[in-house]
Amino acid sequence: QEHTFRFQSSDPAGNPNFQLQQQWAESVAEMSDGAIEIDLLPVESIVAHNETQDAIAAGILDGHVTDTSYFAGRDAAFGLIANPVGAWSAPEEMFGFMEDGGGAELMNELVEPYGLHFIGATTPGLESFVSAVPLEGVDDLQGLKMRAPEGLVQQVFAAAGASPVNLPGSEVFTSLDKGVIDAADYTVFSTNQAQGLHDVAPHPVYPGFHSMPLVEISMNKQKWDALPAELQDVLTQSVRDFSRAQVAALAEADQAAVEEAKASGEVTVHDWSDEERAKFRSIAQGEWEKVAQRSENAQKVYDALTAYLESQGLLN
Amino acid sequence: MEIFGSLQGLGVGPATLLMFAMLLVLLVTGIPLAFVTLLVALVFALGWFGPMAVPLITSRVYSFVGSFVFVSVPMFVLMAAILDRSGIARDLFDAMRLVGGRLRGGVAIQTIFVAVILAAMSGIIGGEVVLLGLIALPQMLRLGYDRNLAIGVVCAGGALGTMVPPSIVLIIYGLTANVSVGDLFQAALIPGLMLAGFYVAYVLIRAWLDPKAAPALTGPAPSTSEKLRLLRGLVLPILVVIAVLGSIYGGIASVTEASAVGVAGVILSTVVRGEFTFTLLKDAALQTLQTVGMIVWIGIGASALVGVFNLMGGIDFVSALITGVSDNPHVILIFMMVILFVLGMFLDWVGIALLTMPIFVPIITDLGFDPVWFGVVFCMNMQVSFLSPPFGPAAFYLKSVAPPDISLGDIFRSLLPFIALQVLALAVLIAFPGIAWL
Amino acid sequence: MSESEPEHPDVRENRGAIPEAGALGRWVDRGGLVFAAGIVVAMLILIQEVVLRYVFNDPTIWAHETTVFLCGVAFVYGGLYCAARDSHIRVVLVYDTLGPRMRRLFDIAISAVCAVASAFFAWAAWLMVSRAAFAPDGAIRLERSGSAWNPPYPGLVKIFLLLVMAALAVQFVVLAWNHARGRR
Ligand code: NA
Ligand code: NA
Repeated sequence: QEHTFRFQSSDPAGNPNFQLQQQWAESVAEMSDGAIEIDLLPVESIVAHNETQDAIAAGILDGHVTDTSYFAGRDAAFGLIANPVGAWSAPEEMFGFMEDGGGAELMNELVEPYGLHFIGATTPGLESFVSAVPLEGVDDLQGLKMRAPEGLVQQVFAAAGASPVNLPGSEVFTSLDKGVIDAADYTVFSTNQAQGLHDVAPHPVYPGFHSMPLVEISMNKQKWDALPAELQDVLTQSVRDFSRAQVAALAEADQAAVEEAKASGEVTVHDWSDEERAKFRSIAQGEWEKVAQRSENAQKVYDALTAYLESQGLLN
Repeated sequence: MEIFGSLQGLGVGPATLLMFAMLLVLLVTGIPLAFVTLLVALVFALGWFGPMAVPLITSRVYSFVGSFVFVSVPMFVLMAAILDRSGIARDLFDAMRLVGGRLRGGVAIQTIFVAVILAAMSGIIGGEVVLLGLIALPQMLRLGYDRNLAIGVVCAGGALGTMVPPSIVLIIYGLTANVSVGDLFQAALIPGLMLAGFYVAYVLIRAWLDPKAAPALTGPAPSTSEKLRLLRGLVLPILVVIAVLGSIYGGIASVTEASAVGVAGVILSTVVRGEFTFTLLKDAALQTLQTVGMIVWIGIGASALVGVFNLMGGIDFVSALITGVSDNPHVILIFMMVILFVLGMFLDWVGIALLTMPIFVPIITDLGFDPVWFGVVFCMNMQVSFLSPPFGPAAFYLKSVAPPDISLGDIFRSLLPFIALQVLALAVLIAFPGIAWL
Repeated sequence: MSESEPEHPDVRENRGAIPEAGALGRWVDRGGLVFAAGIVVAMLILIQEVVLRYVFNDPTIWAHETTVFLCGVAFVYGGLYCAARDSHIRVVLVYDTLGPRMRRLFDIAISAVCAVASAFFAWAAWLMVSRAAFAPDGAIRLERSGSAWNPPYPGLVKIFLLLVMAALAVQFVVLAWNHARGRR
């Protein structure tokens, strides 16, 4: 190989997302006729999930496949662009913003000062909301004890009247089972189903209304700049292909899992009305505005995002 | 000659061997273990990559001290430090006389029972070994117990702290392997009690074969009123156990919060007993800072070393090593056990978990084993690591409170039969995985 | 270590910094009280959080991160505290068999090596702080957690780690120097 790059993922080795990411790494080797080899490492193997940006800048890692919101503490803009809670109803909408709506250019404006180049975006898809109690709309969130990861998701749920609790992912199952919490922001439907979450929390809201993380694939800027243009194009194209493949694979798995859950007779899948979704989105928007005030870049993200949503008729 | 990067010429395999050789040599020179691993990490960061890789070490140190799970470590230590300064543990030990009674080997059995109750309150070792070393060891030596037997019971019993739930080893495993800590606790209960049962059986057999090794108590049997008085010593510890495990299973607290509930329970117990003073709390907190400094910095060093090793390509090397050994899942499993056993001689369990679990758990799941059961297997294996020389934490803890004429060498020699019992328990757990689900 | 006192364990007695740690060691030892108190406060916060959530159904947004912060700085300081008190775990299988002269040589060499390593880590910690305390354009801004509460704990812990690594390097130099002088 002419170029060997070491990338770290934000997913652990056994996770289906990691396995899909490995297929991306293989596809890069194929598409570049072996000119680029990507060595993909699971989360925490070199540095912690929220330290990869520094490690790439320092040349310890060459790149990462990671949820951008892990860097919200460095600049609120990362939190807002990574998961503008309530903004997207489908992965294609986010890809549209990234590829044709100026999102990619904006991402590069954000990460380049940190020594990185943004190659492209993917996502595990729209998350499903896990709940032990039936939820039909925003009013049911009042006083709901729920797990939410730190960041905008937590903030929006708090604004909607819920009581967010901080828990590591591995504690979600037991906490739902024992009633420490009633609901959880966790992950996509198929994974929730596979991990047995619906056995203890049989009232999922699907499709979710709350969260669709932006997973960025980026690399060290100097090393990117040193690549010939055709290899840069190969990388960019490979990420585009991968994002579509990942979304398709997970959507298919989700659909199968939803059928399975419905057939079991134990699980009631709730689907919120457009009205309720809009209500939640308007609460979320209020929180975007607050985040936008935290930094100049965050304001830039807010402006670009709302302009795009408006141009697509997605904003009410 | 260019020094930076020169080690890369070795290749991963020989470099791994060199790493172990360096660990062993530096370890026995008396350099604090935390700095041995940090030094080896530094040497390989510089020697394999160059100065640009050194920030990887500080980054891992930062991430290590900032993880929520380790919050339970100071809580468990603080609990032990307060117990140690109150009369609670001594009264518990006296109450357990009713179990050991006038049997041959009774005090040793009494010690193991106390160890199990302490283990059900707290989740680390260290506190337990020290407590038993202070309370039980002098009594057994005074009664003329075989010294090796007495030492072994104290160290192996104290190490049960991480086998009987709650357990910090299971908590960390749960997070690395992404399985429920509650499930792990449930699955570990019977195997933990089984291991304690093996120790009891061993004491009984030794006492039966050689009455001089474990003499019975002499003197009159306690009267009924005396028995009732002794039983009172059980009440507070049992209440603390109920508060800790009850708050987890009752849905009141998360696993980490439950460790703080335990501390509050022990503090309340000292208040009830009229023993609470500000000085007691201050001294206990200072001792906690010191113990935690020791434990966490050992973890810090191990974490740094694991990061450097992974950057050198260690993950692929170890995966290839394991999957290349055989097609038979059980052979692979046993090979993993051997690796854990060898690592347990040099590294702290935190380092072993960080290094091996991301590699082992996906392989284990692929082979069709249950990751919860494997967590219990891992935890049992770490029991061995606490006792095995040259790096055997239980031995060091005991050494810090044992009479000066007992050397570290004596302690390690005493632990050999108990290591054999642990390996036996591990074999039983592998042969009959159902034990984890009773 | 005294030979005549079998019952009295060092773990329970507050023996303070070893004499060779010098004035710095005595300061480090005294400072321990602040961080030990932090551990007790962390415990109280966790209990408070359980009560607020379980009884009042009203968890806070700050308890979790504050507990982690208090424990994190205690962990970092604990390493320095143990260095000043010589209470880090050491495998003394070989060391114990040495005569006083060789032990002194070992003590000097061990302290010197640890000083060099700590200095390296202090330098690396500085590189980390330079990213956590300054924005790419050079403006001062502490790295925050990015949570809803968004405290600057990450930046503070990184700065604290730099200070402790630097103090650790100095402490080991003091130890090496005093071992070499044979001061008790
Ligand atoms: Na325990
Ligand atoms: Na060991």
